Amino acid sequence: MEQAAPDPERLWQPAPLEPLSHPDAGLESMVGEETKGARDEGPGDGTMTENNFSLKKIEISVSEAEKRTGRNAMNMQETYTAYLIETRSVEHNDGQSVLTDSLWRRYSEFELLRNYLLVYYPHIVVPPLPEKRAEFVWHKLSADNMDPDFVERRRIGLENFLLRVASHPMLCRDKIFYLFLTQEGNWKETVNETGFQLKADSRLKALNATFRVKNPDKRFIELKHYSDELQSVISHLLRVRARVADRLYGVYKVHGNYGRVFSEWSAIEKEMGDGLQSAGHHMDVYASSIDDILEDEEHYADQLKEYLFYAEALRAVCRKHELMQYDLEMAAQDLASKKQQCEELATGTVRTFSLKGMTTKLFGQETPEQREARIKMLEEQIKEGEQQLKSKNLEGREFVRNAWADIERFKEQKNHDLKEALISYAVMQISMCKKMKVELVDSVAEVQMNKPSCDTSSISRRRGEIPKYSVIKALIAEHNS
Amino acid sequence: MSGGPPKALPSTGPQSLRDMPHPLAGSSSEEAVGGDSTPSPDLLTARSFGDKDLILPNGGTPAGTASPASSSSLLNRLQLDDDMDGETRDLFVTVDDPKKHVCTMETYITYRITTKSTRVEFDLPEYSVRRRYQDFDWLRNKLEESQPTHLIPPLPEKFVVKGVVDRFSEEFVETRRKALDKFLKRITDHPVLSFNEHFNVFLTAKDLNAHKKQGMALLTRVGESVKHVAGGYKLRNRPLEFAAIGEYLDTFALKLGTIDRIAQRIIKEEIEYLVELREYGPVYSTWSALEGELAEPLEGVSACIGNCSTALEELTDDMTEDFLPVLREYILYSDSMKSVLKKRDQVQAEYETKLEAVALKKEERPKVPADVEKCQDRMECFNADLKADMERWQNNKRQDFRQLLMGMADKNIQYYEKCLMAWESIIPLLQEKQEAKDDSVEKKGRNAKNSEHTVLTHRISSFVTELSLLIKASDWVPHVHLSRQRSPRQVILGSLEAGVSRQTLPTRLCGRLAHSLRPSLQSRMLLEGGKGDAFSPVGTTPG
Repeated sequence: MEQAAPDPERLWQPAPLEPLSHPDAGLESMVGEETKGARDEGPGDGTMTENNFSLKKIEISVSEAEKRTGRNAMNMQETYTAYLIETRSVEHNDGQSVLTDSLWRRYSEFELLRNYLLVYYPHIVVPPLPEKRAEFVWHKLSADNMDPDFVERRRIGLENFLLRVASHPMLCRDKIFYLFLTQEGNWKETVNETGFQLKADSRLKALNATFRVKNPDKRFIELKHYSDELQSVISHLLRVRARVADRLYGVYKVHGNYGRVFSEWSAIEKEMGDGLQSAGHHMDVYASSIDDILEDEEHYADQLKEYLFYAEALRAVCRKHELMQYDLEMAAQDLASKKQQCEELATGTVRTFSLKGMTTKLFGQETPEQREARIKMLEEQIKEGEQQLKSKNLEGREFVRNAWADIERFKEQKNHDLKEALISYAVMQISMCKKMKVELVDSVAEVQMNKPSCDTSSISRRRGEIPKYSVIKALIAEHNS
Repeated sequence: MSGGPPKALPSTGPQSLRDMPHPLAGSSSEEAVGGDSTPSPDLLTARSFGDKDLILPNGGTPAGTASPASSSSLLNRLQLDDDMDGETRDLFVTVDDPKKHVCTMETYITYRITTKSTRVEFDLPEYSVRRRYQDFDWLRNKLEESQPTHLIPPLPEKFVVKGVVDRFSEEFVETRRKALDKFLKRITDHPVLSFNEHFNVFLTAKDLNAHKKQGMALLTRVGESVKHVAGGYKLRNRPLEFAAIGEYLDTFALKLGTIDRIAQRIIKEEIEYLVELREYGPVYSTWSALEGELAEPLEGVSACIGNCSTALEELTDDMTEDFLPVLREYILYSDSMKSVLKKRDQVQAEYETKLEAVALKKEERPKVPADVEKCQDRMECFNADLKADMERWQNNKRQDFRQLLMGMADKNIQYYEKCLMAWESIIPLLQEKQEAKDDSVEKKGRNAKNSEHTVLTHRISSFVTELSLLIKASDWVPHVHLSRQRSPRQVILGSLEAGVSRQTLPTRLCGRLAHSLRPSLQSRMLLEGGKGDAFSPVGTTPG
């Protein structure tokens, strides 16, 4: 309980603001400024760029992934994937823009960075990393860590993580984060020097706190409840989606069998031959289109996954709050008991039956000197305790305020992102339907061409075109008005 | 090989019926007077029950009353196939109104068969009878027997192949009704078969059982003789064209069998997909219960998935009802084709045997005996009939499959259209929500930050509207690969700048759109650099 807040000043400070004698110090703080500015002032449109382009800006990307073999701590052979992080500061006003920097990091270093951030910014919903192992995939995707598809998705996920951290008003100012982007060697040592691991709370303690807190904050209870629910609902959603994708894949792929049979069948038909042939061809196209569709859907799944992991980050904030509340309550309790002791000693009355009371009765009263000394000691402790309680209270309030601000920010981001995700999901579905429809209409038209005598199916051809033109008309009308 | 009943029968059929003292003559004539074409089901069932009690002991069918239904509503129900190649049609037969009959002995279904005709063979312009599957079977046997040289359309299978299906379930009965209807229509369309006297009896006779019994003895005899001849005579040389037909039929049956299996598999997959979709939608509802602002969009997605699954269900039903039966019919058709081919081979064999025998005796008698000539004639007739039927069949097949494939494609198009509509309806929902929120923000008159934000979100939402419109409006989307790194927005901007959409949109409009979008997109990129889709304009990403 004591080591939890040995250095409150350090812990609650947002970040080491001055990056200390680093050649690019200016740049780093500018990054913070820029992003913060962007967030706070909400640049509206094109005009805003003039204000901000004078600022230095940094672009971050994870541009490459590479498989490597190396030796680990146990001197065992191991294979891992390293990711190339490129940073580029851009001077917008005078055109001479580029200051490119690139370095390699592996997943475990990203993890270390995040753990560090978690410890140092307990009140912030720290952006999650992409999954370590592929989960919620449908059968076609392999769950192999080295699978190129998986690595590629993780690359995007890691880039996203860095961009999220960089766009966070607080996290972007962190020195360790900055070094992560710019300093290849010795980074790990620098992180370890911060001693963040000492400050990490053990799981046991956190668990303890969960059960012992007497006056939990309702808002955090709700938040915790919400993050639990969110996690379960998204994971359910992802599971079902994976199954849906599986089935959809089945439906499309079985259509591919038609392609083969139709073209085989066309070999024995005279007049129908061409029609069957092209029908078969279209079936093939139809069947193979599923790969793209599902690949696009994976992107949506990844977006959801990020929020699945965000739920965990939310919970971490709640846990931290619980822990602090627990500390506070313990301190208060301690103080109360000390006060009572002191009072007892001073008045000489023993309100509760205690061992001390027994010993006093058995062995006679203490000498006044002893009592004096004890009272003095207790009073000192009380003073200390009161101060501690005060600071803890303050800390707590600070934490709640900061945390809540960040949670609000997170909520906004979440609503926005998920809405975007849903829209893009819908757009994806629309384009998929559109594509399949066009494909089918084409196939109908082609089959029809091969059978000129047929006139009934021209309806379907027409049907395929009507919406298109009406939409164009609507669009043009809208823009003319 | 002519095993037909006496020639006089068809013409006497209806007449004798009229003279027949039918136990229910009174009621039927009443109905005829009333001109009630669609008798109330209760009445009909009741009557059939009465029928059955009287007739069942001899295992027969309660033939429906041959009431000359005269309502025009029936005409409406007649589905005229316009595909008939200019032939004037004078015979219309429909099968409808299946009825279940339950009694102590057995349970079965009867179907109402309504006939309208101007042919002289029919004494009345309209007939309506009730027949059960057995009767159709009888008809087909009779046809096969009396017109051995012709291709007789197949009946639906007696039982469902992999049948755990309830024989009396509505779907099964409906599928069978359709198949039976098709069967009769095929006979009706046939220039020879439609004049068959058994067919006439089948369509008109009040009591079919009498006719059935009459034919019984003959049938068994003929059956034996057929078997006798079939006793494994190896043909020396099948004419090339028939050999080709035989080969064709083998492959055809094989391919259709495969297609049938694939279709069933697809339906199975689709049903499973449907099950998953049904679970998928509600998850969004569950989620929406957790959220405040997101609740409505999530609910919308859930409803949309619900709509899609309904559309899928319709598609699956359509496939089961329309696609599979046709495949089945043609699979069965190929069987009956094969059997006709076999019969033809028998006739040829017979002829060849006789010819051989004659050849042996040729030295004695130089002249070819008359019966051999007759045999040759028969063979040639057979060949001609078969060829004609084959041609007919090919034509039908072509038409049917064209319609089938078109219909299938059409159904799929409809399905995608429904899904499209569902998803398109979501987008305005998502945006209205956003705009509504922005409006309220504006009303509250918050600080500049918010109003700027509002401007931006307005731009974004209007952009998304445009995006969706564009996607709707243009064909290029399928050509542009929506890669994972590039969000649709990037793609669209890229395409706009590259002028990809020139095919569908006026260039001026395109340029304007791109121009108006550019700044907002750029600022968006700056603002949202760290957001989910890692947005950056095309080309600025290093590497």
